[in-house]
Amino acid sequence: MKGKNTMRKLLAAVLAGTMIFSMAACGDTGEAPAADDGGDAAAESSTDDAQVSGKADASQKLVIWTMAADMQQFADKYVESHPDVAIEVVVTAPADYPTKVQNALRSGAKDPDVVCAEPQSIQTFIEAGFFEDLNQEPYNAQQYAENFVDYVWAAGQDSEGNQRCISYQITPSAIFYRRDIAEDVYGTSDPEVIGEKFATYDSILTTGQEMKEKGYRIFASTGELGFFAGNEPWIVDGTLNLSQSRMDQMNTAIELYTQDLTCYVDTWSTTWYQAMNGPIPLVGDEVDMWDQEAVDAAAAAAEGETEVFAFGLPSWGVLTLRDNAPDNSGKWGVCQGPTYTFSGGTFLGINPNSEDKDLAWDFITFCTTNEETLDWWIETSEGDVVSWIPSIEKHRDDENEYYGGQKLYELFLGLAEHIDYSNVTPMDTECNDLWNAAIGSIQRGEMTQEEAISNFYDQIESTYPDITVNRE
Amino acid sequence: MATKIKRVILYIALILLAVICLLPFLLMIVNATRTGQEIVRSFTLIPGRALVNNWKTVFSYFNLFQGMLNSLIVAVPCTVFSAYFSALTAYGLHMYKFKGNKVITMCIVIFMMIPAQLSLLGFYDLVSMLGLTDSYLPLILPSIASAGTVFFLRQYCEVSVHPALVEAARIDGAGELHIFHRIILPLLAPGIATMSIGGFIGSWNNYLTPLVLLNTPSKFTLPVMIASLRASNDISTNQGAIYLAVAISVIPILIVFAFCSKYIISSISAGGVKE
Repeated sequence: MKGKNTMRKLLAAVLAGTMIFSMAACGDTGEAPAADDGGDAAAESSTDDAQVSGKADASQKLVIWTMAADMQQFADKYVESHPDVAIEVVVTAPADYPTKVQNALRSGAKDPDVVCAEPQSIQTFIEAGFFEDLNQEPYNAQQYAENFVDYVWAAGQDSEGNQRCISYQITPSAIFYRRDIAEDVYGTSDPEVIGEKFATYDSILTTGQEMKEKGYRIFASTGELGFFAGNEPWIVDGTLNLSQSRMDQMNTAIELYTQDLTCYVDTWSTTWYQAMNGPIPLVGDEVDMWDQEAVDAAAAAAEGETEVFAFGLPSWGVLTLRDNAPDNSGKWGVCQGPTYTFSGGTFLGINPNSEDKDLAWDFITFCTTNEETLDWWIETSEGDVVSWIPSIEKHRDDENEYYGGQKLYELFLGLAEHIDYSNVTPMDTECNDLWNAAIGSIQRGEMTQEEAISNFYDQIESTYPDITVNRE
Repeated sequence: MATKIKRVILYIALILLAVICLLPFLLMIVNATRTGQEIVRSFTLIPGRALVNNWKTVFSYFNLFQGMLNSLIVAVPCTVFSAYFSALTAYGLHMYKFKGNKVITMCIVIFMMIPAQLSLLGFYDLVSMLGLTDSYLPLILPSIASAGTVFFLRQYCEVSVHPALVEAARIDGAGELHIFHRIILPLLAPGIATMSIGGFIGSWNNYLTPLVLLNTPSKFTLPVMIASLRASNDISTNQGAIYLAVAISVIPILIVFAFCSKYIISSISAGGVKE
């Protein structure tokens, strides 16, 4: 009898666990990946407490709020040379970070000295008054303007051009391609030549067809094009601007799809990652890529496998590919895409209510303008691209073995110099999401192109009543 | 024979359901032993070899046991307060006839319908004016007024507390609080246990409020700590560590359920036994 009872208890416990897990799981799905980069997962620190760098009895204490774990490494580095400072790094999941910051700073919290932000939330934070004006005394940030990549510098400014926050990195988007496949199809893997293949939306389509003839696929998903869609602003003078380049992007995405030139997987799905490391099965567009069993079943029934030629990613993709494609080490090349855009990046600003702004400013300059730190960061992160021009210049000739010895810093600096920050509007995230949803619904045959675009207009109108929408 | 066939079909159906329920749980445990790259690339029930690494990753970010302790410090008082004060209120509303009884009951029902997220901004302002940010008090004290629990227990009182019982105690000379403690509380125990399990799990899994209210990393509760793993460099890197942390964090809930399951089952059947 006793054994039976224990058994029952155990079973009940397991069932309860299942229940809890399924509750917890609801919160886990559908999260877009964090647009941060660099570094090892595990940061060593000198105190027992993993989140605090430096000695517990240090005379000064700096608090950093961030959504990127990189800051922990910077903090550890900082306390090495500043023994009288302890740094507490509060890391929050990127999706919830704006909620936390807004709640706290709105009611004047003094806790954080340094506040980090992603490009899409910078303007919101600035308007809410969460960042100190860095152009005033004693910071005089404008003296550094010359040495920063233009777009990153502009991204940290408010509408009057005052510097509010600074980033230590640049994140231009690029095409990451397989050199071995390029050799096979075009007889060369030169980034210049391959760059031509991706220079316009039309040439991408042609490249896609040439790839298919040889049994390859140009992209794993059409979502890759989403990183190359911003060469004109979404909003011009309060009016929605659906430019020709957006239409071209949409048409290319649809053509790639209907002409069977991609693998029909979703960006960031399991199969998408698999495609980095080796062949993936050819499955039709009816398979739900997030349903692993359906994918497996379709794969078993599929006629063959294919390899994917290219991935479109921002510069932090350097690390994504390195970590997820161990079998293709040295076989990658990087070239420019059809437009100059960027995605992600960590910006640092000072909380106006902070009680130790001098220390906060010292830390920010340490992370962004100190060449010693930046040399260390380039080495530690093994591929993150910094925004301080003298440092990139210094590493211009560094060759990345994983990318066939290509000089990546030189390339990314070149790409970043072309980015025009005036194309960025605060509504970009929302507009891009809706636009990509429209493309998706056309691809899946749920709507005609006309319907999808009209639906897109409707949604923009209801989301932003202030914006004029001129339907064509 | 017919009953036997029926039973076989029933068992097959139940086993199938059990497998469907348990599979994700098993996957979580298996994934806790694999690296992030393996998890995003494929799907298997064969354990990997990255358990130690995942463990190290988790502890390089934070002390998981400290988080567990913090969560207990919040969840246990929360559960106790919610149980005791809700029972007290429910009993009062059920037993005593006074002016405004109905109004109060209506108010409680209305408050049940307001989602907690809506009041977050105002709540934060209140807490910050009282100077209570970065402390556990604002996480624990509001549980004293848990509308849902009061409502449930009031219904429960109607079935299980008979006025004659209370009158008998009064005739014997017991004071009102004494009656509540010695007679009513034990009567309500199954109902309280049911609500407590829900309350404990809710408090244990609560993410948004502690995220916004707590600022010092060493004070973070478990869900806030685990979520910070997601702030890593690449979404895939820490996947295994996240699974491990979640797997460890459900252990206390399993223990709570194992101890209280008897009460849950008896409380579910309680309605049918009475008169």
